[in-house]
Amino acid sequence: MSKYYLFQDTKKCIGCHTCEVACKANKNLPVGPKLCEIVTVGPVFVGNQPKAAYTFMPCFHCEDPWCVAACPTGAMQKRETDGIVFVDPLLCVGCKTCLSACPWGAPQWNPETGKAVKCDYCMDRLDQGKQPACVTVCTTHCLQFGPAETPPKIRRERYAKAMASLEETI
Amino acid sequence: MANRACPVADTINWLSDIISEGYLKNARCRQRAEEILKLLEDISSGRAGKEHLPAIHSISKNLVEESPDRACVDTGKEILYRLVTYQETFLSHLKTRNCPDAACVRLAPAPCQMACPAGIDVPSYVTLISQGRDEEAIELIRRDNPFPWVCGLVCTNPCEFMCVRGRIDKPVSIKYLKGFAAEKAMSDRLYRNPPKLPDKNHKVCIIGAGPGGLTAAYYLALNGYAVTVIEALPMAGGMMMVGIPRYRLPREVIDQEVTMIEDLGVVFRFDTRFGKDVTFDQLREEGFDAFFMAVGAHASYKAGIAGEDTYPQVIDAIAFLRRVALGNRRIPGRKVAVIGGGNVAMDAARTSIRLGCEEVYVVYRRTRNEMPANEEEVFQAEEEGVKFSFLTIPVEIKGANEKLSSLHCLRTELGPPDESGRRKPVPVEGSDYLLQVDAVIPAIGQTVDRKGLDDLQDLKWTKRNTLSVNIASMETSVEGIFAAGDAVSGPATVVEAIGGGKKAADAIDRYLRGIPHPKMPPVPVRRSRVEFTEIPASTKMALVRPEMPMLNDERRRVTFQQAELGYSENSAREEARRCLRCDICIRCGTCVDICSNKMGIDALQMGYLDFDNPGPTDFRVTAERCILCGACASNCPTGAIRIEDRGNERLLNLCGTILNRLVVEHCEVCGKVTGPAKYHDYLRKRIQGINKHLENRILCLECARKTTAESHVEITPPRILS
Repeated sequence: MSKYYLFQDTKKCIGCHTCEVACKANKNLPVGPKLCEIVTVGPVFVGNQPKAAYTFMPCFHCEDPWCVAACPTGAMQKRETDGIVFVDPLLCVGCKTCLSACPWGAPQWNPETGKAVKCDYCMDRLDQGKQPACVTVCTTHCLQFGPAETPPKIRRERYAKAMASLEETI
Repeated sequence: MANRACPVADTINWLSDIISEGYLKNARCRQRAEEILKLLEDISSGRAGKEHLPAIHSISKNLVEESPDRACVDTGKEILYRLVTYQETFLSHLKTRNCPDAACVRLAPAPCQMACPAGIDVPSYVTLISQGRDEEAIELIRRDNPFPWVCGLVCTNPCEFMCVRGRIDKPVSIKYLKGFAAEKAMSDRLYRNPPKLPDKNHKVCIIGAGPGGLTAAYYLALNGYAVTVIEALPMAGGMMMVGIPRYRLPREVIDQEVTMIEDLGVVFRFDTRFGKDVTFDQLREEGFDAFFMAVGAHASYKAGIAGEDTYPQVIDAIAFLRRVALGNRRIPGRKVAVIGGGNVAMDAARTSIRLGCEEVYVVYRRTRNEMPANEEEVFQAEEEGVKFSFLTIPVEIKGANEKLSSLHCLRTELGPPDESGRRKPVPVEGSDYLLQVDAVIPAIGQTVDRKGLDDLQDLKWTKRNTLSVNIASMETSVEGIFAAGDAVSGPATVVEAIGGGKKAADAIDRYLRGIPHPKMPPVPVRRSRVEFTEIPASTKMALVRPEMPMLNDERRRVTFQQAELGYSENSAREEARRCLRCDICIRCGTCVDICSNKMGIDALQMGYLDFDNPGPTDFRVTAERCILCGACASNCPTGAIRIEDRGNERLLNLCGTILNRLVVEHCEVCGKVTGPAKYHDYLRKRIQGINKHLENRILCLECARKTTAESHVEITPPRILS
């Protein structure tokens, strides 16, 4: 896995797709490829309430990425310093093996260039000390990015809060 | 590829660098520059219209006038400078959709088209013929050459020497296909003239009804000019009629194509020799605004040997062929020697055979390899019984009492090459011998007959005794007089005269409308982008160039019946399907490089792409290894190689040749096409090392994401203890 952690607080996410827009604008992508995507699950009825969830799907930057193994040209690589999986457009010939190999559908097809594109955590921005494009624009601040050593504590805290019985107990 | 860079491609590269390097800081400027780039790309890919250049001009002017900073102003100025400096190239890209430097890859011309002196869009019409669209093929050819039928029978086909298919097996039989389509369209009554433009109220006089003159007449008449053609002979056709014998080119072929030109309102005055029956001043008084001299090269060079002028049985080949063509079919003698090794010599020899001469010798001072005549001509002459005497120099014509009896010859050897690059024949001492003949036909070469033209004293001539013209405008030293054809080039071919006539017609049109002449000779026009004719790879490889069916030798020796019988419809359609479509595929080799060096699959065996060292080619082997990944198609700069899904199959198609087709598999969830099993096998093999528990699930991109997302989500909130 990469050195980083990109966390989505699904409780906060309202499915506004701003992250997708910022991502595409940052990478100058045409209609089609979505390097990150908010997948809407549901709505389903939970009791009488219709409920939906919005799952943020970027690339997971696997430890042993299938896309890297599948790529015949060496265009798909894992950055040694931090484990980010990225594609070098100069080496990519557009055979789409990475697209088909990935079980999560992370690498995408850019019909304009005829090459694969994928989420690289905006590594050019990271190198400048910035955050990935999607994170910077998140309206509800549900996306958080940082080194894996300091994962966000939101879930833990929320669970703890829910479990806590500060009020009257039985 | 040429070293010169095309100014259009160069400007695109320069401007896209400027944009991508962030040189233009102002957003509005950058947007304007991007608009200009888009318009330039339209021009370089053949999609631009009339408004493109004015639009680029006005946006660039905006850049110069309204920009807040220096970088934008300079960019605008540079574009304006390039537009003016290379105006002609920009216009030519727009008009001809042809980039002769091949820097604009989508406009790179096919070698056959560039080889054609008339610049016919060969791949387009060959493809139309393969699809049975003969009348469209003829309509397309006639935009560059009004004589498809004549050329289909007698052209020297320089196109076929450049044909890329020749690097695989044999060149496509371009010439005969043209002849086939013309005959078919004519016989189906579908050989039609395009509509004429409205009258321009100018009269043009053309001197000479040969291929050059008639071509100019055709294009001028279509353009709305009133054309009159003056001709010394009693019929139209020039050298096509009185130089080329009937067994190669039947009279009705010429007559029918000339009739098409006459139908446009062109007026002919036969039996009228310029300078004798009618003078230049008389024609001026008749109100002609421009003149076109296409008088050809009807005078013969002398062989320069003793006895040439002594005996009446010596007749030069041009006079002999003219005499026979005009109906005088007396034999020149029982035993005839033809001197020379060109096509005219072959014509004279084969005509002599047909007239009934018992023995016909061709006396040539070099060997068969050096002969300028077409190989087929020489071969057919031999079949008909013409005897060749190579390495032989005639030195004297002998006889007595005005009766020729023999040709005194010397044997030669080939020495070192002379300035023309051909090996010089050196006589062998003491090798004299007598060739017993009673007629001699020198076919040494032709030159322009200046009779009648010498009255025009301001007309300048070259050292080679041809009319001196400006090669871009075809205008002579006298204003308003243009010239082309053999009179300018010296004895050449029908198709070269046609090319010259077309050029002259354009120049005369510009002259009469007062538009400036171009600085460069014209560039062949890409007339169409005909869709590919589909053909399986095995058929593409298996088809062989058909032999031309010939009249039997016996008949050929005694009649002037057409010797080549023409292709059957079936073999013509098949032959046309052999074309590799070099108007679309520029043979850059990117597909092969990617397939073998990048993908490591090595499924494409296309050795013909290498011009200098062609390797083996076999389109059939692709199906053995190809996994249909589509990398070749993604990287093809011109769309020559394509991958497409059709029904249950995925196909790889190179200019119509189906290189591979495989049944595709579908996404388990949504049913969308995911790719063929061979592709998935390739993938599994690559990832099996790290993927220990391989689930053989086949999911499309969207469904892969969706199923993952669904498995991650918990819609139900964590249960809180109540």
